[in-house]
Amino acid sequence: MDNQHTDLVVRNLKKSFGENKVLRGINFELHEGERVVVLGPSGSGKSTFLRCINWMEEPTSGEIFLDGVRIDAKNVRKMRRNIGMVFQHFNLISNMTVMENLILAPVKLRVMKKDAAMKRARELLRHIGLSEKENAYPASLSGGQKQRIAIIRAMMLSPEVLLFDEPTSALDPEAIGDVLSLIRELADRGMTIMIVTHEMSFAKEIATRIVFIDKGRIIEEGTPKEFFEHPKTERVKEFLNRVL
Amino acid sequence: MNDFFPKIAELFSTPEYIDSLLHGFLLTMQISYFALLIGVALGTVIALIDTAKRSKWLVVPKFICTVYTTVIRGTPMALQLFIMFFVIFAVKGFPSIITAIIAFGLNSAAYTAEVIRSGIQSVDIGQKEAGMALGLSNFTIFMKIIAPQAIKNIIPALGNEIITVIKETAIVSMVGMYDLNMAAKDIGSGQNMASYIVPMFVAALFYLATIYLITFIVRRVEKSLRRSDLRGEK
Repeated sequence: MDNQHTDLVVRNLKKSFGENKVLRGINFELHEGERVVVLGPSGSGKSTFLRCINWMEEPTSGEIFLDGVRIDAKNVRKMRRNIGMVFQHFNLISNMTVMENLILAPVKLRVMKKDAAMKRARELLRHIGLSEKENAYPASLSGGQKQRIAIIRAMMLSPEVLLFDEPTSALDPEAIGDVLSLIRELADRGMTIMIVTHEMSFAKEIATRIVFIDKGRIIEEGTPKEFFEHPKTERVKEFLNRVL
Repeated sequence: MNDFFPKIAELFSTPEYIDSLLHGFLLTMQISYFALLIGVALGTVIALIDTAKRSKWLVVPKFICTVYTTVIRGTPMALQLFIMFFVIFAVKGFPSIITAIIAFGLNSAAYTAEVIRSGIQSVDIGQKEAGMALGLSNFTIFMKIIAPQAIKNIIPALGNEIITVIKETAIVSMVGMYDLNMAAKDIGSGQNMASYIVPMFVAALFYLATIYLITFIVRRVEKSLRRSDLRGEK
């Protein structure tokens, strides 16, 4: 059994799509209260890494443990309740209203009674200032509104870890600010977070640790200060030169 | 042709003719209705097998479905009807309406399967992923998320299939069944009418009116299903 405060352990994770080896052996740990930002060039496997953690992509080999329990095909559904996920394209369910989106999982999974779920949904909606959108369909919302609702939808199940897969890549600059400040707020409240993003200044500000992935491997890890000011590898120096 | 309108008037005022047409119309609708029921039921099963994730249990069923749709869609309906009548159900006394329903039902299933398959596959993958990430079961994801969205894509094409089947059943007159098309021919060959054009024209009106009504209903259903696409509220 791993140490008590470890939330998530990834051991020698590999993922191939046919002949294409996207992840070539990733070892990683995420501890309670940490905010890890995953950086890397496009095609490096950072999104795939994130998607393997809750088995959106089934790992080709390797192991993932959440609180000491190994995720497998049998328990993956149950494990996903503790691993919230926010997508680049929001993925609000388009045939359901905002309220229906929010209460779907808690009610279906019998985590909450419908009344309790609706009460919590309303609190969260009020908190992000979108109470009046309760009965709106996703098609009538802006990108920023959709993404903030997607975030509170993930929070409805009170997960232990929240995964963000490029949460602002499909948004306009103003909406990006709204979404980032919501993520910042979750961070301030001690949420354990993993983010794949291209927002360097946000990464610098919010991360407790930066993980850099290239060609399917983690090649550098460190605090934002270490990573951005004293990168150890040539690859990261080259990357930072290009993006900063 | 200057007696066209008088002939039409005669046709509509002769109860015997109207009776024949209505009998024919009833058979056409009976065959179409039950054939479509079979088509949608079997087509749904085929589409579900087709779109299911690959697994060792489904290798054989998937192969059978592919062969089935390929053969049905690759051969003429008339030929399939003849095979049903003169080979498979060539039993004396077997009710021909059942044979026809099965023939059209099996045919329609292949087309309906394609309609449903493409409807399911056109639902954005992100919708399924949202359900997965929330820990929902595949069944819940299908029933609550995929199916309601797929239906919006399926209904218009399914409307087309309904129309096709109703018109295509006209070929049952080739095996001697008394459908709407046959009724028209029958009336036209009678001594009193002595014209194919008039009864055929009236039969055409029957088909047209029916299909117009169905198109109207399908449009209404489509519209009500598209509510969530509008920028409105519930």
